[in-house]
Amino acid sequence: MRFMQELIKGLWRENPIFRLVLGMCPTLAVTTSVENSLGMGVAATFVLVCSNVVISMLRGFIPSKVRIPCFIVVIATFVTVVDLLMNAFAHELHRSLGLFIPLIVVNCIILARAEGFASKHPVLLSVADGIGMGLGFTLGLAVLGACREILGAGSITLWGAAGWKFDGFEPMILAVLAPGGFIALGCLLGLMNHLQNLLAARRGESFEPPPHLDCRHCVICKWGD
Amino acid sequence: MKETVKLVAVLTIICLSAGALLAVVNGVTMAPIREAEKAEKTAAISRVLPRHDNRPDETVRRVVEQGIAWTFYVAASGGAYSGAAVESVSEKGYGGAISVMVGFNAGGEVQAVEILKQKETPGLGAKITEPFFKKVFSGKSIGGARWAVKKDGGDIDQITAATISSRAVVEAVGLACEVYTRHKQEISQTPEKLQAPDTENMK
Repeated sequence: MRFMQELIKGLWRENPIFRLVLGMCPTLAVTTSVENSLGMGVAATFVLVCSNVVISMLRGFIPSKVRIPCFIVVIATFVTVVDLLMNAFAHELHRSLGLFIPLIVVNCIILARAEGFASKHPVLLSVADGIGMGLGFTLGLAVLGACREILGAGSITLWGAAGWKFDGFEPMILAVLAPGGFIALGCLLGLMNHLQNLLAARRGESFEPPPHLDCRHCVICKWGD
Repeated sequence: MKETVKLVAVLTIICLSAGALLAVVNGVTMAPIREAEKAEKTAAISRVLPRHDNRPDETVRRVVEQGIAWTFYVAASGGAYSGAAVESVSEKGYGGAISVMVGFNAGGEVQAVEILKQKETPGLGAKITEPFFKKVFSGKSIGGARWAVKKDGGDIDQITAATISSRAVVEAVGLACEVYTRHKQEISQTPEKLQAPDTENMK
């Protein structure tokens, strides 16, 4: 089924962080803890689904010459809506994420999905794409956040309630600082490539990233068509 | 020409719709946001003050010191003065300004400290929000302590690897302490004599 296909591809095969390697700025900034990662992931997913729906609905209406400003206006509007709603109804979360929410506007995952998918596909498939990419983004952030929080703080705390403690080692502050973000992301990317190589080898093939994920075929670079 | 008109029209329509949506959402969220911010401040005031039975957020006293207006939230218990809280800011944090709420008891000692706003490094400077650090200020007063971190020859324990953040908090709390001590007389007049809360300026 097409809907499920579009939904699932974002989780692994076209994971926005580990496969498309998009949206690195918020990724490195918010993954100091699992809590921040989940909050950012949910907010970005919401914006992504909303903007995909609107852009898919307007795809016959927006002339291609002004499509980028139109996409930016739509995305920026939803980001502001999320910012206001979160400030009003999830004030605590807004306090820890406040700085990062405006970053969603420039999160290239959202513009890339608008340009590369929603503007060429019907609404339902665009919803599936938005949910899948959003969940993949959230999952990627959470994995990265968990690695960094465990190594850097020696524990995982979710909204002060649920928490796990990891004993037996001295927490390494580097992991929650900016360089730790790059190091952890690099290790996870390497691990992901290694896993895909292993999986491909088991099928008796060699691993090739899907051609449309190759940088030269990236939809963002093909402004002309 | 015709094409240009169409492009302008489409962009205008999209921007107008976006503006309308934002206006609606802003209208809906304005009151809850103000409520949440006020509740946050009120909760911080209550936490740093000694036992009281009035509404400190509505019993305010203003003093001007060093060109800054300081708003003291006065606590009373059984009609007698029991302490005051004040917000103080230091610009010397590692990630920008740090804003703290400092509570004093009737004797002029620091009762408790809450961090209102900070953008320090998570895992390092952000430890200033943890109880073990906020606790070190309790019971200190302007005459009874050297207001500097131990590294600078003072009496306050700094956080390991976060001396800059610790220094900024010490500066903010110390300044509040100084202002309070200097104006204690007029702040601690019995609550009956206090002016009615100035609701216009409290927003």
